[in-house]
Amino acid sequence: MTPFLNRLLLGTAMVAGLAGAAAAQFPERAVTLVIPFAAGGSTDVVGRIVADKMSTHLGEQVIVQNVGGAGGSLGATQVAQAEADGYTILMGTVATHALNPLILTQKPYDPVADFAPVSLLVLVPNVLAVNPELGVDTVQELIDLAGTEPLAYASSGNGTPLHLSGELFKSMAGIDLTHIPYQGSGPALTDVLGNQVPIIFDNLPSASGHITSGSLKALGVTTAERAPSFPDVPTIAETLPGYETYSWNALFAPAGTPPEVIAALNEAALAAMADPEVIARMEEFSATIVASSAEELGTHVTAEMAKWEPVVTDAQVRMD
Amino acid sequence: MDLLSNLAMGFGVASTPANLAFCLIGVLLGTLIGVLPGIGATATIAMLLPITFQLEPVSSLIMLAGIYYGAQYGGSTTAILINMPGESSSAVTAIDGYQMARKGRAGIALATAAIGSFFAGTVATLLVAIFAPPLTTIALKFGAAEYFSLMVLGLIMAVALAHGSVLKALAMMVLGLLLGMVGTDIYTGTPRFTLGITAYADGLNFVALAVGLFGIAEILRNLETEHTREVMVKSIQRLMPNRQEFREMAAPIMRGTVVGSVLGILPGGGAILASFASYTMEKKLSRTPEEFGHGAIAGVAGPESANNAGAQTSFIPLLTLGIPANPVMALMIGAMIIQGIVPGPNVVVDQPMLFWGIIASMWIGNLMLIVLNLPLVGLWVKLLSVPYYVLFPIIMAMCAIGVYSVDNNTFDLYAVAFFGLLGYVLSKLRCEPAPLLLGFVLGPLLEENLRRAMILSRGDATTFLTRPISAGLLLAALAVLVLVFLPQIRSRRDEVFTESDG
Repeated sequence: MTPFLNRLLLGTAMVAGLAGAAAAQFPERAVTLVIPFAAGGSTDVVGRIVADKMSTHLGEQVIVQNVGGAGGSLGATQVAQAEADGYTILMGTVATHALNPLILTQKPYDPVADFAPVSLLVLVPNVLAVNPELGVDTVQELIDLAGTEPLAYASSGNGTPLHLSGELFKSMAGIDLTHIPYQGSGPALTDVLGNQVPIIFDNLPSASGHITSGSLKALGVTTAERAPSFPDVPTIAETLPGYETYSWNALFAPAGTPPEVIAALNEAALAAMADPEVIARMEEFSATIVASSAEELGTHVTAEMAKWEPVVTDAQVRMD
Repeated sequence: MDLLSNLAMGFGVASTPANLAFCLIGVLLGTLIGVLPGIGATATIAMLLPITFQLEPVSSLIMLAGIYYGAQYGGSTTAILINMPGESSSAVTAIDGYQMARKGRAGIALATAAIGSFFAGTVATLLVAIFAPPLTTIALKFGAAEYFSLMVLGLIMAVALAHGSVLKALAMMVLGLLLGMVGTDIYTGTPRFTLGITAYADGLNFVALAVGLFGIAEILRNLETEHTREVMVKSIQRLMPNRQEFREMAAPIMRGTVVGSVLGILPGGGAILASFASYTMEKKLSRTPEEFGHGAIAGVAGPESANNAGAQTSFIPLLTLGIPANPVMALMIGAMIIQGIVPGPNVVVDQPMLFWGIIASMWIGNLMLIVLNLPLVGLWVKLLSVPYYVLFPIIMAMCAIGVYSVDNNTFDLYAVAFFGLLGYVLSKLRCEPAPLLLGFVLGPLLEENLRRAMILSRGDATTFLTRPISAGLLLAALAVLVLVFLPQIRSRRDEVFTESDG
């Protein structure tokens, strides 16, 4: 190797090293990942798994902070108002970045203007399930039954993605079901298992144990494709073409965060989602990994808001 | 014989050195936070949840479970020694336990609590092992109507049980119900009494309210009358109860274990309700009800057994249905999910090592607690004999950290300050905070289930009477009400309370 080439290579390496150093300036200290729900829920689980792997990649600890309350609005507001330096980021969901802004009459934050998208991490399917004693085996049979007798369905609460999945189902099937809101999936599941309420819309991960054991009968998943973890459960769209809802988790930074910081966070998030351990966990969890670019997440948020707006208006879900 | 081989496997899992160590860490930590008022099992488990991610699933659940029942033990220690329940479920223990301590029987009270807890823990662990799957069917029979009737019974019992005037108890309960209204109405999404503060959209924080009413108010009260602290025990003269005392505690322990085991299975009931229910029952059954409030040994034995049994059996819905009976169990579900275990009926089948390992560890943990706690009582007492000017700021700081760590919400700290002052004022007015707390916990559930039952029955109010379990519970509530207002009992009750107030 000639001395000239050697020097050239050294120079390039140095330039690359400098560029690396510039990027490596973020993070200089621990990053706080705000999870806008209480510990133990599905968003919390995804958040903690991802935070753990992102820490390895960033070389600084990603600390999980649960700021629950007001259906995720409290945590989201906190990040929207945080300093735009990338040290405070949010695990956003379909609730914080599509439904709440549509439902709340007083809007504490703007899901588009107040945030810089980082990456859409996973999609989580929802499921329509019934107590086996109801005696229906398919979505069509349920629709027929609802035409002849009054039925009620349980959800994790007013204005949650699951409630609106139910409302979308009602309007597309042209039937009426009484909505019974609960304080979270747990109590709603209890009452459906005990056949106090015959039907439930739930996150697939939280209902999956009961579906496998046969104590709940899954009529359909809400995604466009069947869930890989339950290949035998049809999609609702196979009966009602075009029906599609799912919960999702995505990372957001406050608006105005420097692009190179967003890039570093995005890179760490993608690396985390490519980790075999994370892939295995997400599979157990029935979640589909997306690991999108920042731009794709921006487009996704706009598309989700456009999709949910008519549903929210039709169902007349409003909160002050 | 399946049971035996399963239990053997469980003990095999739970007695590996690593798991024994985690069990020990759990129960020690649990006792410590139980002893320190203000910081509770919920806050501690929430704080430790991130760490468990690095552990084996069995080890992490064994440790977290240890914290939970260790806290029940520790909580009763402070309740007895300084009349400050470290855990809300030992609030009842404070009534008679502290009186025993004042009379120089602190050692006996502590031993009673420990023996009762151990017995109840052993029985409840066995119950979990034998009945876990079949027992859940009881819980599943409970729909909205049954829950409503259960709450009615609970609230009426709270009034019947309260110290002093029925009117004041009723007023406290209603205040609790009103405070419970704060937050978003789950059926319409309308915020109520939130004063426009979004931080209150999900209601007032239970931990903040409890810490303020019981912890801070108690500190304020103590600061006012520092000399009363001398009443607190400096040395424990005698630990071992004599034959007579054993006889006195035997029946209450049995009954408390039964009551606690049953109530522990019911979601929402759990340890607090169990200890209240047991106390009422012992008082009603006692041949010497006038002793209650003055250091009745049954008033310590019953509730302590009940709350420990309740704490243990609340694992039944968790392990078999994946449904949390209380906030701590909700965190345990979180711990399981973090480990990639989907809580539910499948745990027993897919993860028998985990299921039986946890059950076996409960018994080992209880054994560790009784072995550790009785000799270590001296140490815990020392912890409490630290001077006020050192202890109080530490407790205040612990309370603040504990409350803040639950939701990372600064408004909760304002709530602690407010309820601390309120609790102090209430104690000056001789109003007991216990019915308030119960009203606060049960109120939202009462409303939620009343309205849910009405929606489900399409507006037909007879649903509460046509469902047999619901009708039975309402009848029991009526019976308690009649008993309280029966002239004969009423006068005796007044007599009892006048004495205890004097």
